[in-house]
Amino acid sequence: MQHGVRAGATALAVMLAAALAGCSGGSGADVEELPGSGGGTGSATYNGPPPATPDVQAFKISLFDNVRAPNRCGACHSLDGGQSPLFARSDDVNLAYAEANPLVNLTSPGDSPMVLKVLGGHNCWLTSDEACADILETWITNWAGELATGGREIELEPPPLRDPGESKSFPADVTLFETHVYPVLRAHCATCHSASSTTRQSPFFAEGPEGDPLAVQAAYDAAKARIDLDDPAASRFVVRLREESHNCWTADCGADADVMEDAIRAFANNVPLTSVDPALLTSKALTLYEGTIAAGGNRYEANQIALWEFKTGQGGTAFDTSGVEPAMDLTLSGAVEWFGGWGLAFSGGKAQASTTASRKLYEQILATGEYSVEAWVAPGNVVQEDARIVSYSAGEMQRNFNLGQNMYDYEFFVRTETSDENGNPQLSTPSADEVLQATLQHVVATFDPVEGRKIYVNGELVADQDPAPGGLLTSWDDTFAFVLGNEVSGMKPWTGVIRLVAIHNRVLTPEQIVQNFEAGVGEKFFLLFGVEHLTNVPQSYVVFEAAQFDSYAYLFRKPFFISLDGSVEPGSVPIRGIRIGLNGAESPVGQAYGKLSTTITSADYDPATGQLLSTLGTVVPLEKGPESDEFFLTFDAIGGLTYNRPPLPTPAPPAPVDLPEMADIGVRTFDEINATMAAITGVDPNHPDVRATFDTVRQSLPAIPTLEAVLASHQVAIAQLAIEYCNALIENPTLRAQKFPGFPFDQPPAAAFASRDALVDPLLDRMLGVVHLATQPDRAFVEAELGRLLDGIPGDTSRPGLINTPGVTNDASRTRTLAKAVCSAVLGSAAMLIQ
Amino acid sequence: MLAAATIGAASAALAGPREQAQRIHDRLTGVPPSDAVLNQMATHIANGHPLDAALLATHDRHFYTVTLKNFAAPWTNRDQNPFVPLNDYTTLVIGLVKDDEPFDQILYADVLYVGAGVTPPPSATSNAHYEALERRMLDPGFDPETGLQRTTQSSVYPLPPNATAGAMTTRAAAEAFFIAGTNRAMFRFTLINHMCMDLEQVQDTSIVPDRIRQDVSRSPGGDSRVFNNSCIGCHAGMDPLVQAFAYYDFDPDTGSIEYTPGIVQPKYFNNAETFPDGYVTPDDSWDNYWREGRNALLGWDPSLPGSGQGAKSMGQELAASDAFAQCQVEKVFQAVCLRPPADAADRAQIDTMTASFKNGGYNLRNVFAQSAVYCMGD
Repeated sequence: MQHGVRAGATALAVMLAAALAGCSGGSGADVEELPGSGGGTGSATYNGPPPATPDVQAFKISLFDNVRAPNRCGACHSLDGGQSPLFARSDDVNLAYAEANPLVNLTSPGDSPMVLKVLGGHNCWLTSDEACADILETWITNWAGELATGGREIELEPPPLRDPGESKSFPADVTLFETHVYPVLRAHCATCHSASSTTRQSPFFAEGPEGDPLAVQAAYDAAKARIDLDDPAASRFVVRLREESHNCWTADCGADADVMEDAIRAFANNVPLTSVDPALLTSKALTLYEGTIAAGGNRYEANQIALWEFKTGQGGTAFDTSGVEPAMDLTLSGAVEWFGGWGLAFSGGKAQASTTASRKLYEQILATGEYSVEAWVAPGNVVQEDARIVSYSAGEMQRNFNLGQNMYDYEFFVRTETSDENGNPQLSTPSADEVLQATLQHVVATFDPVEGRKIYVNGELVADQDPAPGGLLTSWDDTFAFVLGNEVSGMKPWTGVIRLVAIHNRVLTPEQIVQNFEAGVGEKFFLLFGVEHLTNVPQSYVVFEAAQFDSYAYLFRKPFFISLDGSVEPGSVPIRGIRIGLNGAESPVGQAYGKLSTTITSADYDPATGQLLSTLGTVVPLEKGPESDEFFLTFDAIGGLTYNRPPLPTPAPPAPVDLPEMADIGVRTFDEINATMAAITGVDPNHPDVRATFDTVRQSLPAIPTLEAVLASHQVAIAQLAIEYCNALIENPTLRAQKFPGFPFDQPPAAAFASRDALVDPLLDRMLGVVHLATQPDRAFVEAELGRLLDGIPGDTSRPGLINTPGVTNDASRTRTLAKAVCSAVLGSAAMLIQ
Repeated sequence: MLAAATIGAASAALAGPREQAQRIHDRLTGVPPSDAVLNQMATHIANGHPLDAALLATHDRHFYTVTLKNFAAPWTNRDQNPFVPLNDYTTLVIGLVKDDEPFDQILYADVLYVGAGVTPPPSATSNAHYEALERRMLDPGFDPETGLQRTTQSSVYPLPPNATAGAMTTRAAAEAFFIAGTNRAMFRFTLINHMCMDLEQVQDTSIVPDRIRQDVSRSPGGDSRVFNNSCIGCHAGMDPLVQAFAYYDFDPDTGSIEYTPGIVQPKYFNNAETFPDGYVTPDDSWDNYWREGRNALLGWDPSLPGSGQGAKSMGQELAASDAFAQCQVEKVFQAVCLRPPADAADRAQIDTMTASFKNGGYNLRNVFAQSAVYCMGD
């Protein structure tokens, strides 16, 4: 999202959505009756005077009809209830309109007094104040139409100026936690807040068993966000007991809270303070929630019939905050946990709506015959197959629709008159493109009765070749249940994070999809780091857009320099080397602005937009959680000040380690064997038969010289090649005469091998040395072995010797055959192979 | 099996000059020496000049056509397969050693070696010339010292001289490492083959990660710890170096390396939506962030600036490091001694040879000869 800034004499505002100015719609841009609106549960028909103006009409449709029910605001803020203001009075919508107007902020619905009141704990009709506030905000946004989206402005609010404080950070070692806090959690919270509990309730900060390092570490990780080391009494664990009476283990919640607080204090007292290095040039400090909210974006939601943003962050229910009745609240079960910065992390569990509530999809989608499934997901890996991300189904083989993952592909199954009950054949993203990645992605799957299905990822159309395009939805079943992260049966688990899901009963256009993609997901803030004390520029700040990125990190992006005094000209302010500090120290990782070097100049500085410092974003590890982590910036140079940053230390080289003793001999490898055989025999390695055999056995010969790696199969290949070389040698009259000048190849074997030295000596001279090489096999031993090959072993009738083989014709041809055998035995031996 | 006859009882004896000569020849050429050469080498050794014996062996044609060929072949493909056909990368290694050229040129020179009179001629779009040359190399009459001729890559490939970078811009390397992907493969395999280390060994999470591209997820599987503890350690240093390849690609349709001066290849913007706030590559400027921190141990040349444009200067940066020189020496040691350096004596020998290699004009032939003498037995 781009930022633009508008400055007045007293205030500046960040204009969001400049990039979207050309897009149609906007949330509620077209004032039309929203699907499913028209009264909360139990609302009676309105019989009063008609709305006097179009705006009253919009009020009625979007807000009034939803809140006036007796189980909503109408219980009190009506004539019967008598509780002022009477914005839910059912006798006259025009009077209710007048009462409601002071309670809403149509340009910024989230800031409406009505929303803030409910968010603060005022009579929410659900179990989550935040969910009620979100729903109210949605209704007011719908009422506001273009007002709420046409030019959303966010005023940069200067945070309180304070120096980065001394702070306590969680030690990496779990011992202190394990000693002081973990026993209390195990004793009193493990019944629910442990993964092995039958009534398991995320987060698992009481994970067990005790003594299991992995379990204690998991508990520690989950507990950090609920412990305030700097102010133990403010720890969520303590507040939950003392103020919210959440499952106290005695009748005295205050006493239980004291026990918890004492345990946390004992932990905190043993954690040293982290002090800011006084040599650093530091900005002022603030926490994430002290920033100016930049969230909201401009999602296109005109036809949204269900929405889950997972803002609650705790408990067993994920609320449908679309405002479209009935709410399809999801019940969490199995291995599913809340994800930092809004989301659910699935690892085998599911989040499922009741079949009754799910029927909303059936009714709303059949009314239009088209729909879109939109989700922000981060698949946990790219190897899971047939895993269900968003499904409206009855089991593994029956569904109305399903968005799933199959390795690198998103798959979209839809039931139509032309598909089977399982929604086959599916539309899949092209496998070769590997569209699905294990990172946060915006996925929209659309179904149109004429054009069929399309899948968009990160705003781009990636699959539209629907194998069964279009059709009617008449075969849909209204008894199915909507489920995330698994199949309703629990048998098709998906691993990953879902950060938002929306169902629309229209096909989102490509422009609307891009709009929703660019609107992003999660809450964002502008963090204003005061630098006036460094720059002497009045009310000057370095501003980052920041958000909780996931459960373990923050995203910082696009820093800019600005003064909130619109009359200021900054002059020349050099800025070099910005680093993000966290709880008293520079973050050890993620310092993407460490090499930044720029100068703020009056020429480049725009009082309305400031001056952009970098287009980059970076991810900084979370330590204590967004409520407690205190950020600040450090600079290598700013204004006229410089910090002499020491270079990164270079450690001493690691001490060398001796390897086990290894053989200092090895074997010849493939080409060496070929070349050696050619050299010994004198045969051209390009001889057709030799070449063909070598090409065949080349990769079966030893590839590396290591002795231990030689296999029997290598020896077979060596033998094949040796035989081929010897065949080529012996069958070539010229070559054999040169090589073995005294050997009578034209005689029968008995006569010929009487002169065997003429055959054997030239080979052995080349192999073992004319003057015998001491490192080669003993010549007499080799000759004796060759003798046994030819003459047999005396007394062993099974080995009569090749010369004495019965039943063969002992002619000159046989002589050559035996000569090849002798040659091959020598050539294929270890005397050749070892080097 | 006749050929597998049990001939194996070597007589145990201390190695004399002839045995040492035999081993030197075996290790350097892959084949046993003729009796005449053996005698000549043994004489050198007996006279206290074993290096002369070894250098004599390095002029045997098999030193080039067998030993050097198989020494370099695994570097030229992703599978590190030694069985690949001869190619221009392998031939470049052979040629530089043959001509006693400074071997650091392997990462930056505008050099190509071709077979004299071998048809088809070298081509930007085909490896056929080198496959024909490989057949010629088997010919007993082929002399590599005259049969391999030096030319330039820029005269054969669509690269201006200043865009050539030794092995990295050979056709074989482009086909293996510039094809598809993000061009990080070219860097990684150059690191493996010429610095003797994979990315895990150079990872450093403390350096500034401002050049990591958009395609690297900052929260793989929804867990940013994976990025901050692992991915960042390699990408923070690698991506600003890989930027040197921003104008290179390999076109599998034409079979040729592609160079687009001034225009960053589209692959540098792959998966830009994975982390839109990541670095967007504007040109082929590179920076060596590893000059500080733990990777300063790689011994970068203080006379070089540590930054530049394009593959050639980046190749010079790598080739001038101590790690490059030591890597070449260690590779040769292992190829000749058939084992890695294992103890203090071996490491001292590596240090000696590395210093001699770096200060003596990067002559790789000498390193082969020195290693063979060191491992000739006694």
